[in-house]
Amino acid sequence: MTTDRNSRRSKSRGAIAAALIVIAAVPALAHRRDEYLQAARISVDPHRIALELDVTPGIAIAPTVVAEIDRDRDGRITDPEARAYAGRIQAGLRLEIDGRPLPFELVDVRWPAPMDLTRGEGTIQIALAATLPSLDPGRHRLRYENHHHPADAAYLANAMSPSSPRVVVRTQHRDAVQRTLTIEYTLDRETAGVPWLLVVGLAAEIVMIAGLGLVVRRLRRERA
Amino acid sequence: MTYAADMRISTFGYAALLTGALCLPIAGLAQRPAPPAAAPSDATARIVAAAQALLTSLDDAGRQKLQFPFEGPQKTRWSNLPSGIFQRQGLRMGDLSPAQRAAVATLLTTALSRDGYRKVMEIVRGDEVLRTGSRGNRPGGGGGRGGGGGTNFGEDEYYLAFVGTPSTSAPWMLQFGGHHLAINLTLAGSQASMTPSLPAAQPASYTVEGREIRPLGKENDKAFALINALDAAQRAQAILPYRVSDLVLGPGQDGRVIAPEGIRATALSAAQQAALLDIIREWAGIVTDAFAEPRMAELRANLPQTYFAWSGPTTAGSVAYFRIQGPTLVIEYAPQGSVDHIHTIYRDPTNDYGSKFSAK
Repeated sequence: MTTDRNSRRSKSRGAIAAALIVIAAVPALAHRRDEYLQAARISVDPHRIALELDVTPGIAIAPTVVAEIDRDRDGRITDPEARAYAGRIQAGLRLEIDGRPLPFELVDVRWPAPMDLTRGEGTIQIALAATLPSLDPGRHRLRYENHHHPADAAYLANAMSPSSPRVVVRTQHRDAVQRTLTIEYTLDRETAGVPWLLVVGLAAEIVMIAGLGLVVRRLRRERA
Repeated sequence: MTYAADMRISTFGYAALLTGALCLPIAGLAQRPAPPAAAPSDATARIVAAAQALLTSLDDAGRQKLQFPFEGPQKTRWSNLPSGIFQRQGLRMGDLSPAQRAAVATLLTTALSRDGYRKVMEIVRGDEVLRTGSRGNRPGGGGGRGGGGGTNFGEDEYYLAFVGTPSTSAPWMLQFGGHHLAINLTLAGSQASMTPSLPAAQPASYTVEGREIRPLGKENDKAFALINALDAAQRAQAILPYRVSDLVLGPGQDGRVIAPEGIRATALSAAQQAALLDIIREWAGIVTDAFAEPRMAELRANLPQTYFAWSGPTTAGSVAYFRIQGPTLVIEYAPQGSVDHIHTIYRDPTNDYGSKFSAK
């Protein structure tokens, strides 16, 4: 056990040294350096919000981020470590619908190769989703906030073009650095109501035809 | 260098300007007169003939490196990143003989417009400047170190691939790319789509034989001219009150469409609309004229649903982002923290990789 631990420590030192060599050797001009790019894309559906967040630590801050992820410093990112870091990112996010907090859950996390991460070119892709409460047709406000790694973050936040014809994005309001995004959208009435209208219309038509039939029969009897 | 000054550079000047590893491609440019726009089907036939001539010049191993199945991962395998960080597949320019390079040059000059080919070669040459640090106009400005840490820059590190078999009727794709460049041209008979493509530049300005070269200079200058041609009310609509630090729909964002922002083209005057189309042409006109013209006609027809958005200062020479978005168009121009490092993207969300053609 002790030998294993020593071996792991040794590997850790090796991994960190390798990362530092890479960072020193890669031409800085070609890469994002001291910013932690966090790009959010938000899809609004009538009943659901999907949030995709791509986070890419720049080459200068990658060692810090890798150290935050690789908590046992063994030079590997294990599943529990990955999930724990995704949870930290998730904890820095807030969603609100019409001023009320909107709970959301982690759907998927995709990890880059550790070497890409240390080069400042690795992107961690996180997918989150929230189920919306029942909303009346009309105008609604979805607010997104990102507080992950605020000191060195470069944010992007965008509403996607809605896939549902019931949702129309009206405006997007952001703060100056895109840490917050408020999407104002309108939700149209559920088109699922149309079959009910058809049923009611058909029923009314049948009643009318039946009524006309009765009137005609009565008239014929009277003539006879 | 201004647009007008740029246009004054002679054909000979460009041949001399872009020397080095890609000397033969540049010779191809020098020998090429500006042809009238061919019919699209004729253009496809010429491109296919040039592609087949290249195939003939290769041995079996070379042909194997060049060709990929149409329905496979190669189609979306492109990036702005340099070799070493992103490993491209295909025919590496540094591995070719002079005759084979000449065949590549002929193919590219056939597939691209005169301005498009020049832009592509200036981007490639810029990467060579990055590699050697021989920026010319600013001592020590380049800073690129070839090969460091497994990352490779320079003219040799560009790759060509055929996705599908060159054909005058069936869909196939010509890919040419490397650091800061991805050209994805899908051809299907008389139709073509050059989206998604990523022309970028670092350095964004360098000097060769006393001439300043700005691969994306026209894009920058025309956009600043348009934003400064807007009145206060128009600017209030066009200018986004927040920083955009990178491409929103860059590599890896295929199939995604964001909600448009900025000023709608219907709120622009006729002259401003013409200026907007002129900016769009910088991307749509990279492909040979036979395909650029129908594409421009489509984008002109969609202009009423097209938006122009700006983020950053409006003083020429500033670091500023802009986006042009319409039903069949996304263009983004995103400085990477400085005016000397520019990423751009050109997409058609309805027809990236010629999806309309291959769906038929």
